[in-house]
Amino acid sequence: MRVMVTGASTPLGLAIVEQLGALPEVTFVLAVGLEQPPQQLVADRRLRYIGTDLTHARLAHDLVWGEARRHSVDTVIHAAQHRSANGGGLRVHLQNVEATRALLAACKDHPSIRRFVLRSFAEVYATPHATTHLLSEDDALDFDPAMPQWVRDRVEADLMACAQVGSPLHVAVLRCAELLAPDCGSQLWDYLRSHVCLRPLGFDPIINVLSVEDAAAAFMAAARSTAVGPFNIPGADTLPLSRAISESLRFAIAVPGPVMSPLYRLRRRVVGLEFHYSINARRFHFGGVLDGTRASNELGYIPMHRVSWPRPWWRQLLDRLASDRGLIPAGR
Amino acid sequence: MHHPPEAFHDEGYGFDVFGLHPPSLERAVSAAAPIYDRYFRVDSRGAEWVPAFGPAIVVANHGGALPVDAAMLSLDLLRHTPRIPRPIADHFVPRLPLVSTMFARLGMVSGTPTNVRRLLQRDELVVIFPEGVSGPAKPFRLRYELQRWRVGFAEHAIRHGAPIIPAAIIGAEESWPVAARIRMFRAFGSPYLPIPASPVPLPARYLIRYGEPIDALRGDPDDPEQVAHVAELARRQVARLVKSALAERHGVFR
Repeated sequence: MRVMVTGASTPLGLAIVEQLGALPEVTFVLAVGLEQPPQQLVADRRLRYIGTDLTHARLAHDLVWGEARRHSVDTVIHAAQHRSANGGGLRVHLQNVEATRALLAACKDHPSIRRFVLRSFAEVYATPHATTHLLSEDDALDFDPAMPQWVRDRVEADLMACAQVGSPLHVAVLRCAELLAPDCGSQLWDYLRSHVCLRPLGFDPIINVLSVEDAAAAFMAAARSTAVGPFNIPGADTLPLSRAISESLRFAIAVPGPVMSPLYRLRRRVVGLEFHYSINARRFHFGGVLDGTRASNELGYIPMHRVSWPRPWWRQLLDRLASDRGLIPAGR
Repeated sequence: MHHPPEAFHDEGYGFDVFGLHPPSLERAVSAAAPIYDRYFRVDSRGAEWVPAFGPAIVVANHGGALPVDAAMLSLDLLRHTPRIPRPIADHFVPRLPLVSTMFARLGMVSGTPTNVRRLLQRDELVVIFPEGVSGPAKPFRLRYELQRWRVGFAEHAIRHGAPIIPAAIIGAEESWPVAARIRMFRAFGSPYLPIPASPVPLPARYLIRYGEPIDALRGDPDDPEQVAHVAELARRQVARLVKSALAERHGVFR
């Protein structure tokens, strides 16, 4: 298997490249990122890193028909979406949607590429009250024009890839639960980093979060499979929002739902953080856990790794000390 | 209350994927015990028809201003079977503040096909009121007359090989009749605002009767006629149980 991974300079991309390197059947990895090659990428003769800006359709085309063809790449993992919810505008749209369009178009008639795996997001689901709890791949997508660009872009890219089902290119769309880790664009990570977390009064929804290890494992499973279509990728942590707050050792205050949005908008303007309540309002009321039955049956994906909660620095220090002394298992 | 460990699918934090929290359920059962035993004096028969394990669907009639009948049926199943019942609620219920969270902790699940499928795949006992809102919404003069009977439960039963256990609940209609329904008031997506005839439920005696399971193992879940046939069988069984329970009752409050 010869794989091209976009977004290789992100934590998820790095984890994917690392896990690919551990697979004996992977003979070559073409890692593509916007930034300089990350230091964590171990020098390996099977690995080549390329810095390319995929927002230019020409560069995306040249990457696929140049380097990828030269190395007979047969599988593309596209995980290079814009991470910050604060960003918007044309540049972000180009990265989230047009880059996917350009890559799909370039891969369609490619002489060696047969498999395309797109990272999508749980946020593409409409999550109306009627579908509380479990969301299957057949549930409605969010076409609400009032949703932020962050959501609209993801829905458009997801649909674009799903529309390729039935073509000779085997396209799998992995609708991942929220990746709870730093530098991954996680809304919940940012939310849980506050000392005080506000939550809607009268609601304590069940949420599900995904670890980087499990997300990378899902991409491995999808890359090795020929199954096509959308797949929900849930994480191993399913719990009420209030419990997530207490796991992060934060203080929760329940406030009326309509007050949440202005308060978090104010916080974003004053402190400059990432959490947008408008993106999360429905989830914070009605929850929504991805049903991973299809991914389990067709890809063999089972979430196994718990997330690390964004705990205060002093607790992280204590945990590290205890872990070093063997008092608690590392990674908990 | 004793339940085998496999009855609860802990997702790792003490909750299942639908929000069920067994300690909360235990507390609620303890708190509701006097209401079940002394206030409504529930008389239950036939719970042995409910299978002790495996996927199963209990279908029952529905009435009263608020779903006290669902609470009593759930409590009855908890008392007389080793199962944790999973009542299926209408779509608007998860939108209700406080109520949605409280019901979820006690085992309620929003009525979507994906949710019901997951429950039956996990061998859970699902409780469905096929009349939906039309049961409690009917006028008092139509009490204990089954209203529009949905068939989705029959499809699930056939698809998952789950037996359907018919059940009748008597007492709910007189216990808390509805004086008026304000259909203009649709807060949180509810179809109407019920105005109960009394501030609290009256102490009508509850009778709960379970019938012989309907075997839905043979059939095509995608065949509308077969699904409708199984649903109709269940409707007739529930109607028969309701009729016989009403006949054996000596009075509303006795």
